[in-house]
Amino acid sequence: MEGEMLKGHLDMIVLAALSAGPAHGYAVIDQIRRKSGRAFDLPEGTIYPALHRLEQAGLLASRWMRAESGRRRRVYALTRRGERALAERRAVWRQFSDAIGGLLEGTRPCKKPA
Amino acid sequence: MQEAGLISDYLESIADALSFDRSLSRRVRQEVEDHLREAAAADPIGDRLEAERRAIASFGASHAIAAQFAIVSLAKHTRRVGAAAIVVIAAVFAAMKARVAWYTATQWAMSDDVRAVSAIVGSIDRYAFWLAVLLAIGSWAYITGRHIPAVFNPRYRQQLRRSFLLCAAAGGLLVVSVISDGALTAFRLSGAEVCAGFIVPLVSMTIEIVCAGVLVFQIRAMLRRATSTAALLKT
Repeated sequence: MEGEMLKGHLDMIVLAALSAGPAHGYAVIDQIRRKSGRAFDLPEGTIYPALHRLEQAGLLASRWMRAESGRRRRVYALTRRGERALAERRAVWRQFSDAIGGLLEGTRPCKKPA
Repeated sequence: MQEAGLISDYLESIADALSFDRSLSRRVRQEVEDHLREAAAADPIGDRLEAERRAIASFGASHAIAAQFAIVSLAKHTRRVGAAAIVVIAAVFAAMKARVAWYTATQWAMSDDVRAVSAIVGSIDRYAFWLAVLLAIGSWAYITGRHIPAVFNPRYRQQLRRSFLLCAAAGGLLVVSVISDGALTAFRLSGAEVCAGFIVPLVSMTIEIVCAGVLVFQIRAMLRRATSTAALLKT
C-alpha cells in the first residue's frame, strides 16, 4: 500500500491493533503485519511516534513493565476515549469503503452514509 | 564492529538527536532497544549480527524516526507552555493583589512627588497585564484545540508557530507588567523608612519576578526545542 495513504490511516491502524488488548510496540507492529497480511510496508519505527502521539491525545495509556528478558518494556492500552475513537473511525471507514466499493464495482453502497 | 555495537550505535544516534528532551530521549532509547533486540532475536536468519542489521533497517533511519518523536515532543511542550503561561500569570496576579491589599490595610500612601509618574506606569502595567492574560489564554486555547497530525505538515507547523508567537507575546507583556510593578513598588517604598512592613511588597515582587522568569525560561526552552526539531526535519 502507498506510504502516504497508509500514514493517513496510521492512527486507526494502531488503535485497531491495540483493540485486542494491551501490547508493547513490537507486538503492535507484529499484530499489524499479521492482520494486514503484510500489506503495510512502513518503517517499523514510525509506529512508536504514533503511539506517543495517541497517548498524548488521551487515546492510549502506557506503563513500563519488565519483559521476560529482563528488559524494561512500555506497554500500551486503549483508554475509554481510545475505544470510542476507534469505534467512530471504524464506522466512518465502513461507510467510506462501501461508497468507494460501490463506485469501483458499479454497485450501490450497502448502507446510505449518515 | 561488534555485535552489540550495531544496536548501541543506532540507539546512541536517536538519543543524541533527542537530547533536547532528556526524559523523551531516555524513554525512546529504552523502547527502541527493546524493539530492536526482540526483532533481532525473532529473526530466523541465525547470524546475529545480520539479524541486528536487518532489525535496524526495518526500523528506519534514526534521524527520520527521531524527527517524528521531536514533533510530538514539540507539540506537547507547546501545549504545556500555554497552560504554564496561564498559571504563571494567575500567580503574578495573586502576588500583585496581595501587595495592593497590604498597602490598603496598612494605609501605605504614595508620596505626591511620584503620583503622576506612577499613574502612567500603572496604566502601562494594567494594559500589559490584561493583554498578557488574553494572549496566554488565546495561545493555550488555540493549540489545545488542534489535533497533532500523523504527518507533520506545513499547516500544523504554522499552527505551532502561531501558538508560540502568542505565548512569546504574552511572556513579553508579562515582563513589562512585572517591571512596571517593580517601578511602582520602588515609588511606594522610596522615602519610607526601612521596616518590617517592607517584607510583603518585597516578597510579592520576588514572586512576580520568579514567575516571569519561569515563563521566559519555558518559552526559551520551547524555542530551543523548535530549533532542534526544525534541524532534524531538514536532515
